[in-house]
Amino acid sequence: MSATLLYSNRYLDYDFGPEHPFSPVRQRMLLSLLDALDAPVDAPEPPLATREDVLSVHTETFVEQVEAASDGTPPARARRFGLDTQDVPVFDGMDRAARALVGGTVHGARMLTSEAARRVLQLGGGLHHAQAQLASGFCVYNDLSVAIQHLRDAGLHVAYIDIDVHHGDGVQALHYADPGVLTVSLHESGRYLFPGTGNVHEMGEGAGEGTAVNVPLEPFTESASYLDVFDRVVPYALQQFHPDVIVAQCGADAHFSDPLADLLLTTQAYETLFRSLLDLADDHADGRLLLTLGGGYRPDATVRIWTLLALIAQDRDLPDAIPDAWRERWEDERGDPLTPTLHDPPKTFDVPRRDRVVEQNERISKRVLEMAAPKWY
Amino acid sequence: MLVQDIMQSAVVTTDAHVRLADAYQTMIDHAVRHLPVLDDGALVGVITDRDLRDATSDLHPSPIQAHAPVREAMSADPITAGPLDPVEEAARLLRSKRIGCLPVMEGADLVGIVTVTDLLDAVTRLTGLSKPGGRVAVSLPDEPGQLARLTGRVAEEGADIRSVLSYYEDETRSGPEREPDADEEPPSRLRIILRLDTINVRPIAASLRAEGFDVVWPVEKPGSDT
Repeated sequence: MSATLLYSNRYLDYDFGPEHPFSPVRQRMLLSLLDALDAPVDAPEPPLATREDVLSVHTETFVEQVEAASDGTPPARARRFGLDTQDVPVFDGMDRAARALVGGTVHGARMLTSEAARRVLQLGGGLHHAQAQLASGFCVYNDLSVAIQHLRDAGLHVAYIDIDVHHGDGVQALHYADPGVLTVSLHESGRYLFPGTGNVHEMGEGAGEGTAVNVPLEPFTESASYLDVFDRVVPYALQQFHPDVIVAQCGADAHFSDPLADLLLTTQAYETLFRSLLDLADDHADGRLLLTLGGGYRPDATVRIWTLLALIAQDRDLPDAIPDAWRERWEDERGDPLTPTLHDPPKTFDVPRRDRVVEQNERISKRVLEMAAPKWY
Repeated sequence: MLVQDIMQSAVVTTDAHVRLADAYQTMIDHAVRHLPVLDDGALVGVITDRDLRDATSDLHPSPIQAHAPVREAMSADPITAGPLDPVEEAARLLRSKRIGCLPVMEGADLVGIVTVTDLLDAVTRLTGLSKPGGRVAVSLPDEPGQLARLTGRVAEEGADIRSVLSYYEDETRSGPEREPDADEEPPSRLRIILRLDTINVRPIAASLRAEGFDVVWPVEKPGSDT
């Protein structure tokens, strides 16, 4: 089964400016690399999300603030809503650009509910920090939650898997009390890293108790320990929950070179993770899977990781080398050297107190299951 | 932060003359573990779920019956707090007296109650955890003006500070932070934990380092040089 890809040039309008880490250059590089690898993205353009789509998870007051800020001048109370901040500066056309991203993700959800597709890869979105009335961590509208809400309205049970290095706090909060949405987030511990939440004790509330699963990992966690924890927790949680569909946020910022966080995953680990996501969808959700992008702030790594994602989701073979012409073009434009192979060259890390990192991750993943299991029976 | 900012002000109480079984039912109905005990409207004691269980247990050398009055199992003359006491004073009092709650009195009136749970909630609020943020930890010499210098620099970087925590460092450091030099004479230093409103703390950390600050977290990632 091959994935349906979704992309629109309108995604590139979600642009906070040249110095901002959440840059659309990542998508431009991704599309052009897929082109250079003879796997061009020939995707139908998804429609913009409507205001009503956005209002399915955000408040009217918040949407009004975003609209008011969309001429590039922040309204007086903007900061109270997380807008006009260092992370989410306002820009011309912000509401429309954010709705373009939501539009793609919710379009993917609609393709799943109408059975027009089984596996969809949205080449954008993954704005998992946005809350009901708070823009946060580069995220204005929560495309994932709008899509999940659409799937819920169609009567489906949704499992959400978040492998971005930051806790998926917005998605978790927006579906915290819904027993029909399981959120599973693996992330670097909030003890140090933004947003600070994602503790094992956050497990859902009310009827949704037991449907939030959080696995906070130690700084400097390496691939082996990460994959071990993923395999302990995620398949078991899905087995208990019986989803109809899986939504996965595929942030690439757990890579060792990422400047915003402190995990040490390699591209090889990402390949394993992406293949696991496809297998999990096959095993637990009849193949129904909606994949999005997310964080990832070192374009050299981020673009290679998402290229792996796109190739694997389409059941294509993985080439070893990155075409020279592509590399030269982007090295010229960006001024930074780029890795010549799709995968990272072999890499070892000198991690202080590695045993403690591994042991702590193991302990946390066991505790997650111990705490969740009684709520699942 | 003061006791009145964190106390529960709708206080569930019991009376010195009611039966222990009824006091226990009150605890269950309101999901609380501590009840201030009133007699004729005046505070005369505190009774906890543990007081009830201990006093009526078969293991007790001379257990009392469930229909005995609360007066017989309560702690009389309870230790109390005032609404304007700082929360750290309330915490110290609970800890040093090894008790679980403080009735809050304004003159002769019972106006609230503070429990260990309320203090844990206060810790969460003090650390600014209710809003998303990232952390920077800095070690400062214990000298006047150092903290002002630090926060001034952070403000120049355009970050909004959600909370500031500080404590005196000792020899034991936990987490993946760097180890102190064993030969180093431990000078008096203050550890400052800033929670900032940004997902992107490394540029701020770099700028602080360039100014000579001892930034403890974030550190360079292993392998980030290549």
